[in-house]
Amino acid sequence: MLKAIKPKMSVVAAFLAVPVIWYIFSVFVPLAAALFYSFFEWKGGPDKTFTGIANYVKLIHDGTFWQAFGHNIFIVVVCIVGQVGIAFILVLMVNSRLTRLKGMHRTFGFFPSTISAVYIGLIWTMIFDYKRGIINYILIQTGHKDLTQVWLNNPALVLPFVSIPLVWQFIGYYMVILLSAIAAVDNEIFEVAELDGANAFQRAIYIVLPLIKNMLMVCITLCVAGNMKVFDHIYTMTEGGPGTASMVMALYGYKVSFEQSNMGYGSTISVAIFVVSLIVIQGSRKLVEFSMRNKGVE
Amino acid sequence: MKKKLLSVVLSTTMLTAILAGCGSSQTTGTSETSTQAATTDAATETTSAAAEASSDTSASAASGSSATALAYKGEINMMHFSTSEESEGNGGSDGFRTMIQQWTDAHPDITLNQNVLANDEYKTQIATMASADDLPDVFLLQGMNTKAWAKQGLILDMTDIIKNSPYYSEYNQAYFTPFTDGDKLYALPALTGGTCTVVIYDKAAWKKAGFDSFPTSWDDVKKANDYFTKNGYDYSIAFGNGGQWQANSDFLSTLGDRYTGPDWFQSIINKGGAKFTDDKFVSALSFMQNIFKSGIFNKDFNDVTNEDAREYFISGDAPAFIGGNWDESYITSTLKSSNQDLYNNIGFAVLPQPSDATYDENSQNIGLGYGIAINAKVASDPDKLAACVDLAYKLTGPDFSNYVATNYALGGLTKIDNVDLSKFSQVEQDFYNWSYTDTTPCEIYDSYVDPAVWSVCNTELQSLLNGEGDAKTVAADIQKAYEENYLNK
Repeated sequence: MLKAIKPKMSVVAAFLAVPVIWYIFSVFVPLAAALFYSFFEWKGGPDKTFTGIANYVKLIHDGTFWQAFGHNIFIVVVCIVGQVGIAFILVLMVNSRLTRLKGMHRTFGFFPSTISAVYIGLIWTMIFDYKRGIINYILIQTGHKDLTQVWLNNPALVLPFVSIPLVWQFIGYYMVILLSAIAAVDNEIFEVAELDGANAFQRAIYIVLPLIKNMLMVCITLCVAGNMKVFDHIYTMTEGGPGTASMVMALYGYKVSFEQSNMGYGSTISVAIFVVSLIVIQGSRKLVEFSMRNKGVE
Repeated sequence: MKKKLLSVVLSTTMLTAILAGCGSSQTTGTSETSTQAATTDAATETTSAAAEASSDTSASAASGSSATALAYKGEINMMHFSTSEESEGNGGSDGFRTMIQQWTDAHPDITLNQNVLANDEYKTQIATMASADDLPDVFLLQGMNTKAWAKQGLILDMTDIIKNSPYYSEYNQAYFTPFTDGDKLYALPALTGGTCTVVIYDKAAWKKAGFDSFPTSWDDVKKANDYFTKNGYDYSIAFGNGGQWQANSDFLSTLGDRYTGPDWFQSIINKGGAKFTDDKFVSALSFMQNIFKSGIFNKDFNDVTNEDAREYFISGDAPAFIGGNWDESYITSTLKSSNQDLYNNIGFAVLPQPSDATYDENSQNIGLGYGIAINAKVASDPDKLAACVDLAYKLTGPDFSNYVATNYALGGLTKIDNVDLSKFSQVEQDFYNWSYTDTTPCEIYDSYVDPAVWSVCNTELQSLLNGEGDAKTVAADIQKAYEENYLNK
């Protein structure tokens, strides 16, 4: 770069300082504050009592928190298979030579990701509704009235059912990411594979998958991170109910902090969400790497 | 050089902007509202009263309000949940807003910054602001927060203020209990006294089932249910517990009183030795589990809210509904304009008595759930405090009670003698008499104790009503939360 237009290091640093400080302020300060408060018994207000690791001991024995953690893991698994898996299949279909109007598919596929989670929750609450919901309506119209039920009030079904809107909403999001990953791959590779007689399934598993492995990893990381902190859909649909059958960690933290005014323990839960999420994200990356070790390209 | 200067200036400005977000928002009402993303625009409004009031100061004389000259000139920040949408049809909200308007008109030198949120958002935001020790000057305090916030020194001890009130002798003393800690009072109970548990039923439908009035025993309700399910209904009573608090506020609180009597709950409040694991309370929980299993309620009671369930009654799908006074005002105002026949057939009843319950069979939980409290920090400015107190007197005094009595047949903190009910419809008169004279008041559970206790109770109750678990375990969990969050504090 010309020296005349190259700014001094101090100027560069000053400009960079702004986003860095912003980032520290909005990410690290709350995290450090939560860590600090997690060592106190704090019911809100100016009085705090230092209790050491008492909150963490309580957390380890808190059945509801671990139940919520289990629910998060369930949702993560459903969403990796549902969101990333279905997105991958759709991408292969959209990318096929036979598909027309690719731009339209992309746009409409992405569309649900742009809608607020609260609306999505409300729309699906209406779909699942016992009296006016479309599922029960179809069951009744097709003569299966005995199969109708209060879908979101069945503890065994509520978790899969609240996962459906999550999957539905974010398929398009991962579709766009994977489409861009495939677009970056040289088209000749696919043509050569086709000439060599590889069928669509073989091309998907042995060619496409290894070539977009890194992007797939990004998708899975995003998917895990997103679903470890899932909140708004479930808050709108069931508030964690019936009982705690659809309780997730973030919702539990919210309830403890704001409904029970227990800010100290709420902070402990926030710290725990951060820690277990990091572990799960790392674990999922290792798992994907392990499962892909024999699939060619590193 | 100029560029360097410019970059420094720009960076500083951005930094200041970032840090300004942290600052106290005490001085402006608007910045408080903007921090709450969940708040809808419609529910949030910030009024600069001085601007509106400056043109018309004569209103105060006409309103007959206590237009005492106040030395204070400046701003008062206030938070409440009487939104303009809510005030349509809701007497308490309308009266509250009207009193605020009259007061601001009478005091043009004071700018009242109002932060008005819908009730759900209000509860979350006020709890957050209390945690940050950043409460507004005047706000509505929920009974169950009184002891914790008083202990923290967040709210002003209003004992003398209340005793020196010009209307003290007219106050209904029973309404103060949720806002009492020891012998100190922390709030002036506000809005209208309303029941949390009323059975609203269609007299004509129940007459067909063989009951001239609503049954007084659950066995009779079950008998009626047999008739209803054979005659076009799917169930007898609509109920909505989707928000989890309804089963507590609109059912258990009254049912519990039937089993335990009022002394038991007083002992819970006063840490007098009563336990949630006491047999009589466990019996109440057991009964509740069984009655919700019996099929007399709508199948989706745990999935829909009270707002949905009352529509089942309005649409004629259910011959009865159980809810609070807020549901009653919605149902009557809707039916009045849409279904005059059903409107004229509306009857009110207390919960039927379980056969093994031994206490007052005519009880219903009624009270004022919120009170006007003042931030303890206001005490450092006597003039401002005088203005806040004047506002609190106005919002809970005879002007308010007269307004809601004459316009809505409702009662407030200040007692009104000889309310003329003649201009109201029979249904409105019935509800007034049912609420204030014909029934025995009992306490609203979640006006007391600690929010953590009720959060545990409400969550577990929802599972219990689904038929999972047993009453003893639920009672033990509530007791544990009670000991951790209240008893041992």
